[in-house]
Amino acid sequence: MNERKVIESALSGATLTGHDAGDVNYQPIAIMPDVKVVKIGGQSVMDRGRVALFPILDEIVAARKEGIQVVVLVGGGTRARHIYSIASELEMPVGVMATLGKYIPMQNARMVQMLLAKHGGIYMLPDDFEKLPLYLQLGCVPVMSGMPPFGYWEKREKGSRIPPHRTDAGVFLSAEFLGARRAIFIKDEDGLYTDDPKKNPAATHIPRISVADLVARDLPDLVVERVVIEYLPRARACKELQIVNGTKPGQVLAALRGDDVGTIIHA
Amino acid sequence: MTKLVGGDGRTHITSPLMRESLQDRRVVATTDSDRDVHIFPDAALIGIGGQSIFDRGKDAILPLVEEIAAIKERDGKKMVLAVGGGTRVRHTLSVALDLGLPVGGIAQLIGAMEELNAILLNTLLAKHGSMPMQRDHFWDLPLYFASGILPIAISIPPYHFWEPPPEEGVLPQHGSDFGLFQLAEVLSMGQLIFVKDQDGLYDRDPAHHPDARHIPRITLEALLAAPPPTNILDEALFRAWATAKNVRRIQIVNGLKPGMLTRALHGEDVGTVIIKETP
Repeated sequence: MNERKVIESALSGATLTGHDAGDVNYQPIAIMPDVKVVKIGGQSVMDRGRVALFPILDEIVAARKEGIQVVVLVGGGTRARHIYSIASELEMPVGVMATLGKYIPMQNARMVQMLLAKHGGIYMLPDDFEKLPLYLQLGCVPVMSGMPPFGYWEKREKGSRIPPHRTDAGVFLSAEFLGARRAIFIKDEDGLYTDDPKKNPAATHIPRISVADLVARDLPDLVVERVVIEYLPRARACKELQIVNGTKPGQVLAALRGDDVGTIIHA
Repeated sequence: MTKLVGGDGRTHITSPLMRESLQDRRVVATTDSDRDVHIFPDAALIGIGGQSIFDRGKDAILPLVEEIAAIKERDGKKMVLAVGGGTRVRHTLSVALDLGLPVGGIAQLIGAMEELNAILLNTLLAKHGSMPMQRDHFWDLPLYFASGILPIAISIPPYHFWEPPPEEGVLPQHGSDFGLFQLAEVLSMGQLIFVKDQDGLYDRDPAHHPDARHIPRITLEALLAAPPPTNILDEALFRAWATAKNVRRIQIVNGLKPGMLTRALHGEDVGTVIIKETP
């Protein structure tokens, strides 16, 4: 019997089934560290329509005119919740749920692109990251769905049929890949609270918090997806999440300029 | 009739998840149940090792191809094939790590090395009716099965640029073993068989320890409680399996021993059988 024909390399003997990476000295590089990765929320912004969305887009265009490189990712919202409800009743596997969940953020991204077209808005597919340098050098505002492309390959989380990686995860993972230090989330509230401020008027605002402190609070609800909180401490580039209130004028532009507004969650 | 609801500045469609936070554990618990709808329960997914089979070349590949063709002709079994990348994946990783590429960039590169093996396999099996299956064209499978086509699936999951930062170390965690597991899981395929170059799991690496003991049967729970020092399947597979619902049994067989894959497809306990006991 022929032996394995091996290409000699630092990993040629590794099983790769564990964490063994041989003796490689890994010094990660940042691919596009100056890019601002920003999410427009689905339920929190898109479902509010023109009154919420237009002022946010004005601030994104203003930032672009200041020379700030912005990549916009868009969330799902109420139509995603509707399809998740029906699909759950039908006991669809999580991978099917995640595939269904791709379509609404894609619609919302296309809406945002149409609105930004006259300012250089360009619709981007997930695998188009390699074209970002061109788009940004031309002064474009690339717009894409926030949903990660996991689809049918999404893992099940215990006790839930909802895909754990949704558009918040997609925004964080995009920032991490591009080498952006911060991922910005535009919502309709000032960030983290001790409880859901829409339901509990006694909830109080948290301006800056570490992941460790956040996890220690063991809140039943969170402002970003749980996997993002889990991944943040392991990130190599994206060490902070910023949640800003898109319904307050100036907040989005301030965040794009790098100011500490809203809530910062840090690794 | 579906109603649109406003009043808080947003337009909602009525549904049990309307206005709810999908981060709220109390809310997402309402979406769960103890089963999934089953999609292809009588199909088998067969993953052929890259390093263990393809990197050995002709002597390992051709007998296996003949065995697969014979099973197809004789049994009419509903099968989906897939392949790993082997030593070229390891070389890619070594170069990419040295360059300092981010984990998502590294994950994006790996699939191309597996595709080479998929092209080889399809070239050898085409006359027996094989076809490469596009990424997620699962809904073509009934057509393939009914017309006796043997689809060759893509093993690596499409995590690509979005590969999450690894829990430990620097390597992407979602490799081809995990990808095949997810494929079997989401499609609730009845059999998942990995074809390697050893008889399955051992208490120690049999390549370095001649006295290593073979494990014919083990539960997932026992494996997770006391993982062997070297494993021939990805850790990510076992972690995902722990919270999954559909796959109950995974089998590892030796593709260098003629007939083992055939016996496994017939339901025999050859090689190593791993059983998930907890629901």
